Amino acid sequence: MEIIVDPRLDTAAKRPAYFRGNGHLVFGFLPPGSFITYDLLRKYVRAVLSTEAASDDSFWNTLLIPITIGIVGTTVGVVPLHCACLERNGNGLLIAGDSGVGKSTLSAALTMRGLALISDDWTYFSKEQSTLVAHGLFSPIKLLPDAVQFFQELRELTPAISLNGEIAYEVDPARFVGSQVKNASRPSWIFFLERTSDPGCHFVSCPPASIREFFEKNAERLPDELVDAKALRTTIIRTLSVLPSWILRTGESPQRTSEAIDHFILETKYATA
Amino acid sequence: MQPLEFSHYSDPLDLLRRFIQTPMKATYRLDGARVGVETNDCALLPELPLDADLTGPCALEWKLIRDADSPGLLEPPMFLTSATLTVVAMGTACLLGLDHETHKLFAFIGTDIDAPTFREYLVPFLCRMTKDVLSGDPIGCFVSWSHNSAHV
Repeated sequence: MEIIVDPRLDTAAKRPAYFRGNGHLVFGFLPPGSFITYDLLRKYVRAVLSTEAASDDSFWNTLLIPITIGIVGTTVGVVPLHCACLERNGNGLLIAGDSGVGKSTLSAALTMRGLALISDDWTYFSKEQSTLVAHGLFSPIKLLPDAVQFFQELRELTPAISLNGEIAYEVDPARFVGSQVKNASRPSWIFFLERTSDPGCHFVSCPPASIREFFEKNAERLPDELVDAKALRTTIIRTLSVLPSWILRTGESPQRTSEAIDHFILETKYATA
Repeated sequence: MQPLEFSHYSDPLDLLRRFIQTPMKATYRLDGARVGVETNDCALLPELPLDADLTGPCALEWKLIRDADSPGLLEPPMFLTSATLTVVAMGTACLLGLDHETHKLFAFIGTDIDAPTFREYLVPFLCRMTKDVLSGDPIGCFVSWSHNSAHV
């Protein structure tokens, strides 16, 4: 990875994050004033940063590093998948589900029950020998404006436009009611979150084929030339698919749902112990 | 020739727009070399001498993608060059990459780039890049940005 800092970019036109790709090449703009290229076949990244970007911790932590791992990861052994990850006593708990179903809100509620947060949105999976490891990037939790009805703490904050254009609260999980944050965990369970209008929380066992289908259908399309990357992702998804998994249908608040998950995990552990 | 009606492309699993279809194809002769061009907008087929010989491989391939979501006009070009790759950004209105080894060039071209700008500026620019890479001097005419470089 080569980083070039060029003061000439300090006067570049202001523009939002913008990326395009073709085959193994990806490039785009990152605010403020920076440009980055990825060559995924040759595993080479080259970026030109404005001095403003280069000297801004937030630029590195919330833009450059997460986006780079998201784009390059699969070609270097780290597969990004769309799910949250939390941890209780060394066991990783993955929460998957469609966009907008409430993964982040539920993650925030689970951290308030003492679970450590790995990631609320994108989790990065690698294989260390035969063991699957889920990694997070200490990214902020992104909560949509309606989350304010569940978390009084948000009333003091102002939502802003996030990278994907959504208006959201972006909160530092370590400062959000003192949530514990960790950077990695070993996944033990998967919950697929579904919202219903019926009251209560219902756990329904989920077969491996459904897990594979969900993650494969929700993964970014990769060009055929990235053969190894596609194969690695398939392997990671297959490994994930044999974890104990449940569909969680909930009509309850994030707090009640998190409580139900906590009790369910305890009961399941005792039942299998 | 009527321009193709292209719409905003939306695929949540293709945020980088790698899979935009480019069904229109033509082959040209550029300084003796065969250059294949494919695009999703027939207005982006350049006015260059067509190649009558429909057999054999192309020396270089262009993929020109009209991008309905890339607004703005051309800005002064910024080059990022390496031994294997040249990338040129002219704002979001035109981003192009040329792989020196695979001899493939692709460009995303915004909707605000009109026919005269494409014909009088971009096509000569693409031709120049093509000639340079085919002559084995892909970065010869460009200024490489190489100040304050730090390898991480």
